Amino acid sequence: MTYMPVIQTRDLTKSYGCVAAVRALNLSVGPNRITAFLGQNGAGKSTTIKMLLGMIRPSCGEGTVLGKLITNAKENREMRRTVAYVAENKPLYGYMTVEQTIRFASSFYSDWRTDVARRLLNEYKLPPQRKVASLSKGMRTKLALLLAFARRPELLILDEPSEGLDPVGIEHLLQTLVAESAEGVAIFFSSHQIAEVERVADHVCILDKGCLMVDASLDQLRQCYRRIDLVFPFPPDEREFRITGVERVRTKGHQMSVFASGNAEAVVERARDLDAISVEVAPVGLRDIFLETVKEN
Amino acid sequence: MLWYKAWLETRSRFLTSLATLTIFCAVFVHHAQGLLRPEWTTDFNRLLFVTQQFVVIMWILAVVLLGMGGIVREKALGTSSLTLSLPVSRAHLLGIRIGMGVLETITLGVVPWATIFLVSSLGRMPILITQVEFYVLLLVGGGSVYFAMSILVSSLVEGEYTAPAVAFGLALLAAMLFDAWLRPYNVWRLVTGDYYVDRKTHLLSGHFPWFGTLAFMCAAGLMFLVSIKVIQRREF
Repeated sequence: MTYMPVIQTRDLTKSYGCVAAVRALNLSVGPNRITAFLGQNGAGKSTTIKMLLGMIRPSCGEGTVLGKLITNAKENREMRRTVAYVAENKPLYGYMTVEQTIRFASSFYSDWRTDVARRLLNEYKLPPQRKVASLSKGMRTKLALLLAFARRPELLILDEPSEGLDPVGIEHLLQTLVAESAEGVAIFFSSHQIAEVERVADHVCILDKGCLMVDASLDQLRQCYRRIDLVFPFPPDEREFRITGVERVRTKGHQMSVFASGNAEAVVERARDLDAISVEVAPVGLRDIFLETVKEN
Repeated sequence: MLWYKAWLETRSRFLTSLATLTIFCAVFVHHAQGLLRPEWTTDFNRLLFVTQQFVVIMWILAVVLLGMGGIVREKALGTSSLTLSLPVSRAHLLGIRIGMGVLETITLGVVPWATIFLVSSLGRMPILITQVEFYVLLLVGGGSVYFAMSILVSSLVEGEYTAPAVAFGLALLAAMLFDAWLRPYNVWRLVTGDYYVDRKTHLLSGHFPWFGTLAFMCAAGLMFLVSIKVIQRREF
């Protein structure tokens, strides 16, 4: 069976004047998995998502979503039939009631599941007759998620899906994401909540200042990334540790902390060659990887 | 359901305008009838001509307001990403908005004049149905250019207050400029019936100006096309 990415971009770039929001992005999101899209505010996550959905035009580069060209209006429209999208600020029409919003959204999609919509309406305790404008932020987020989950799309794109949700809502959301993925839906979501990402994501992409810094599976990241704390009898020279895989080196007196994306064994060996008194190798979590990556850049 | 959305978005503006126009026409004509004798038909015809001037002013205000909103305004409100994620082309989205607007502008032209016709008939000063048709066709046909202009402005300008201000400004400017230099082509004079009123009887006379009306409708169509192109090229 051939591997067909659900999202693929080649040198995708978006510039506003002389400011590049996204720079030569080469992204490949696989099917049947949950891919997290991480980055600081203004890193270019939402711009990338908007380019994928045809809301903004790339300055250069190309991309496909479910095999459809993102820059071709007709293909993009076809693609949107099988993609569910929840935008960053959970935009909904304030003048519609909850019920009208559901009815409105359901009319556009052949994959709409009325039973699921009804179940989620009850689970989220959304008042059907209430105007969307009078809903709380959390309620609006739940309604936006309902509109996405009530469908059976091939791809779910979620921009900050847990924003505004309480812990119960977040738990429900994460469980739903896992369940949807198990049913074969590819999920691509951006988030600032690294703990959530670590719980559900299979694959992680980290974007910083418009550049893709990390694109690997969560298992791979856990396996490769290490923090190595070293103590030397003399103030060490950082240059000794500029070897492949070393992302960052910090020195404080006789102590040194090395952050490596691989090749930790070589760092340990070099430290031993330099008569290190203490060598401690520790795995690092996604939070540290993220922080070190964006700091590094 | 996009028709339903367009209706929900415009219904309060439309119903308020419709009620205002209808009540104004009914009260104005009924009140004037009380001041006139049934045999003063010329005066009554003149009154109808004056009524059309007021109706045109209110109708233009209403249709410009009805043309506001849409996807550019949604961008400012943050809802454009929901609309644009629907599997619908931008041309289709705007087309439905235009369709709903055209239906509403026609209603805003027909209902007030139907009210005038009824009030006149009940007040024993009946008016010719052909006169009503003439006024309505001038208003809706020629006036479509005002609605098209407001659609175009709303496709270019985002601000809640800026867009109607620009649209009203343009309408006023066009009326003044055309009146000064291109008077025979002034849409304002066409829709008010100024070109066709007989100064003695104060009845609209002659053949209906199909050519002029169609020309303004074509101009409106052109503005709709430009609006669609603008929306298709715009980034959200």
